[in-house]
Amino acid sequence: MIRHLFTLMWNRKRANGLLLLEIVLAFVVLFAVGSVAVYNWTNYRAPLGFTYEQVWEVDMSPGNQPRREQFATLQRVLQRVRSMPGVVGVARHSENTPFSFNDSSTEFQVKDGTDKLKVGAEFYHVGPELRDVMSLRLVAGRWFDRRDEAAGRRKPVVITELMQASLFPKGRASAVGQTLVDNDQDAYEVVGIISSYRAQGELAEPYPAVLAYVGPQDSAHAWTSPMVRVQPGSGAALEKRLGEEIRAVSGGWVSSVTSLPDQRLTQLKFRLTPPAIMAVICVFLLVNVALGLFGVLWLNINQRRGELGVRRAMGAPAGAISWQVVGELLVLTTFGLLLGLLLAVQFPLLGVFDVAPGVYGLAMLLATGILYVLAIGCAFYPSRLAAAIQPAVALREE
Amino acid sequence: MENLLATSFDTHPELLPNGPAAAETPVLQLTNIEKVYQTSTIETVALNRVNLTINRGEFVSIMGPSGCGKSTLLSLMGLLDEPTGGTIAVDGRLVTSYSDRELAGLRNLKIGFVFQSYHLINDLSVVDNVEVPLLYRPGMGGKERRQRAMAALDKVGLSARTGHFPGQLSGGQRQRVAIARALAGGPEIILADEPTGNLDSVMGEEIMDLLLGLNRQDGVTIVMVTHDEQQAQKTQRVVRFFDGSQVG
Repeated sequence: MIRHLFTLMWNRKRANGLLLLEIVLAFVVLFAVGSVAVYNWTNYRAPLGFTYEQVWEVDMSPGNQPRREQFATLQRVLQRVRSMPGVVGVARHSENTPFSFNDSSTEFQVKDGTDKLKVGAEFYHVGPELRDVMSLRLVAGRWFDRRDEAAGRRKPVVITELMQASLFPKGRASAVGQTLVDNDQDAYEVVGIISSYRAQGELAEPYPAVLAYVGPQDSAHAWTSPMVRVQPGSGAALEKRLGEEIRAVSGGWVSSVTSLPDQRLTQLKFRLTPPAIMAVICVFLLVNVALGLFGVLWLNINQRRGELGVRRAMGAPAGAISWQVVGELLVLTTFGLLLGLLLAVQFPLLGVFDVAPGVYGLAMLLATGILYVLAIGCAFYPSRLAAAIQPAVALREE
Repeated sequence: MENLLATSFDTHPELLPNGPAAAETPVLQLTNIEKVYQTSTIETVALNRVNLTINRGEFVSIMGPSGCGKSTLLSLMGLLDEPTGGTIAVDGRLVTSYSDRELAGLRNLKIGFVFQSYHLINDLSVVDNVEVPLLYRPGMGGKERRQRAMAALDKVGLSARTGHFPGQLSGGQRQRVAIARALAGGPEIILADEPTGNLDSVMGEEIMDLLLGLNRQDGVTIVMVTHDEQQAQKTQRVVRFFDGSQVG
C-alpha cells in the first residue's frame, strides 16, 4: 500500500506542485526558527559558572571630581559598603559585568606555544573577592590571593575551562603555570582555572574567558562597577541606604544599583525578542500552511468522490480510505521534506554561521516532526469525511 | 493464468461459510427488497418488493427505462448499499448484519464491478489500476499483485498497454482495463452497470464478447444492467424493471 501511495503521489506531483512548494517553504522556515531555538536552548542549558541571586551591581559615576582624588574616594566607598549591615561581600569588576550588554574581548596565545594558536576571549578585570561574591567554582590551580600582589611578576589571570580547551585543543597540557600574551604582547600568568564565567548571559554562546587580577591598590582597572553580594531578603531599603552611603562618603558620586536577577531578565527579554518575532511569524505561516493543506485536502476529497467510491466498491474498508487520505499527505510531506532537507543539510556541511552541526541536525529533526504532526492533524478530519463517503452515492454522482 | 485468476477462497475460507457451491446453486438471493430514498419532503420508492435469485454461472441482464431502479438494484447486489426492507444473501448467508469491514472483505473477494464510465484512476498506469482491488486483500504481496494484474490484462488483450495511462487509451480499451481490474481478484460475480453505454457499437460488441467469454469459458457469474435489447438477448436471462418493480 505504501508503494501504491508513493506511485500515486509521484504521478500527481504536478497537480500537487504548489502544495509541495508550500511544504518546502514551511520546512525552511521551521528549520530556520528551529535552528535559532535549538541554538538558544543549547546555550541556555550550558552552566553560567556563577550565581546571580542576591548579587547587585553598583554603577558609580565620579561626576566632576578631579581624577587624582577618585581612586582614594573609591577605596573609601568600598570600605564603607563592605561594612554595611546586609552586605556580605564586595568585589571590583570591570564594566563588562554579568548581563550588562558590555563586552570586552581580545585574543590570547600561549607564549612560546608550539602551535601559536590565537584564541579570542572575553577579558575581565576582577577583584579577588569575586570568587565568593559570585560563587565561582575553581577546577584547577588556585584563585587570586596575596601572592598576586607581589610587584614585578606577570599579571595573574584565571581562565575558564573552555579557554583552556581552546588553547590546548588536543587536551594534553594544563594551562596552569603557562604564560599567555595578548595582542599588545602583555604577558599573563595563568594561576587557576574556573568552570565557566558566562557574563554575556545564558543565551550567548559559551565563549572563552580570562579574568585578570585587580589588587586593592590597582587604580587603573575595575573601579566603576563593583559587585555586591547581599544577604537574602535585602531589598529597596538596603538599596536606598547604599546610595546614601556612597553619596555621603564620596561627596557627591552618583550611583545606581541593579540586581543581577533584574538585569538578567532585561537581557533575556532583549535577546528573546528577535526569536519570539520569528516564532510568531512562523506560527502564522504554519497556520496558513495548515489551512492550505486542510482546504486542498477537503477539495481533493470532493473531487475524488468517484475514485474513493470505486475503492470502497472494490473492497476498501472505511479505515483503509481514511488511512489513504492521511498516507497521501504524509507521502507528499515526505517529498517536501526531502527537498527541504537537501537545502538544510548544506548549512552544517558548509559551516554556515559557525554554529555546531548538532544544532542544525536537531532543528531538522524538529522541523520534520512538526511538519509530520501538522500533516496528520490537517488530514485527520478530511480523512474521516472520505471514509464516510457512501460508495453507492459517490458512484451514482459520477 | 487460470490459477492466478482463481478466487482466493482457499486462502480465505472464513468468507465462504457454506463451502464451494455446486452449479445451479444461488450465489445471490434478494428477498422482498425495498429501497426508499427519503428526504424531508419527498419519499421516492426506488425498488418495491423485489425478489431475485442469481445462480452460479449465470449471465443475467437487467433492463428497464432510466430511473426504474436498475442501478440501485446493482448497488444492493454489490453490497454497496443497504436495502430499506428485505434481505440479501450471498452464498446462502444473510449479509444484513455484516459490519463495514466484513462487507468490504466480501466485496473484495467475491464481486467485481464494471462501470459505464470505467472509473479508472487517471494518475495510475493501467497495471497499477488493475492492482487496486488487490491492495485491499490481506496478506497479498506486491509480486503476487503484479502477477495477477498482468494475467488479467493478458486475458483482456491489453498486456502491451500495461504502462499506459487511462488518458492514452480509447474508450473500449479503458473498459477492458476496468474488466481486467474486476477480474484481477478472481471474483465469483461481476456486476456490470451499462458496460457498453459509452462505447460505439463495434467496441460495445468487443466488450460484450469479452464478458460472454468470461461467463462461458471461465464460469464467472455476470449481472449486467443494459439498455441494449440486442446485447441483453445474448445473455441467459433478462430481468425487466419498471418503476422500481420487477415486471418480467
